Amino acid sequence: MYQLHSPARRHETGAPALILAFAMMLLAAVPLAGHAAQPAHRSGGRAHTVIIEGMRFTPQTLTVHRGDRVTWVNKDLFPHTVTAAGKFDSHEIAAGASWTYVAAKAGEYDYVCTLHVGMTGRLEVR
Amino acid sequence: MRKAVYVLGAVLGSGIALAWAQGMPSDPQIAAIVVTANQVDIDAGKLAEQKAQGSEVKAFAKRMITDHTGVNQAAVGLAQKLHLTPESNPTSQSLKEGGEQNIAKLSGLSGQAFDKAYIDHEVAYHESVLDALDKVLIPSAQNAELKALLVKVRPAFVDHLNHAKMIQSTLAGQ
Repeated sequence: MYQLHSPARRHETGAPALILAFAMMLLAAVPLAGHAAQPAHRSGGRAHTVIIEGMRFTPQTLTVHRGDRVTWVNKDLFPHTVTAAGKFDSHEIAAGASWTYVAAKAGEYDYVCTLHVGMTGRLEVR
Repeated sequence: MRKAVYVLGAVLGSGIALAWAQGMPSDPQIAAIVVTANQVDIDAGKLAEQKAQGSEVKAFAKRMITDHTGVNQAAVGLAQKLHLTPESNPTSQSLKEGGEQNIAKLSGLSGQAFDKAYIDHEVAYHESVLDALDKVLIPSAQNAELKALLVKVRPAFVDHLNHAKMIQSTLAGQ
């Protein structure tokens, strides 16, 4: 995959490779963007929602099972992030937007909004 | 520096006290106060984004621009929806003048002196606005949606104040 970003290779292979690279980027972007429109049963797990509003994650602690999908919905008027360092990172979730994460690995994940000092949450995956 | 913060706080506070003395502000006046309060901090943030020395201060300035722009867009949108024409008043004028004085002062500073002055003002500003939200703006708002917006944005001002205080203590140790 990294080769597609190599300028040398891009130069050698020309337009078809660029189109392929673009298509793959689009495909790669789908799980990152986490379209909430996808039905929960596709991953075999339950769907959960965490609301981001008033500079808080609600519920502050959420316990789910492996394979469940968790969607953070930003109801504030400015961006937030959902970031568990080295584990998962939504990057900026715009006002009114959402981000979905499939909880694949069991564990306890403390996360923060990297943009605002006081915002913390916890995801427990059983 | 500390004295300057208190003086500035008194300037911002005097406008709020004046409005208080003249009776509670109307919804159009509250709309003007909210829009002015946000705009003042956006303007200071834009200056700080260019002039600040520390990366933490720069990041804070960028956050102020983004967050207060988001709040202002919502406030302007709600005012239009409710057919509220923001009405200038002693509090909004005081905020505007305080903001202009801050920009004038900051424009003459550079390096760490700029960073400290900007952050000191951010602490005083957010304290004053929170005070106004709690004592004047939220209790006075008549329209339920306007009141709800003020309640909704209050935690952002608390977070910004805490963030500014954290940076202030870091800068004090340098």
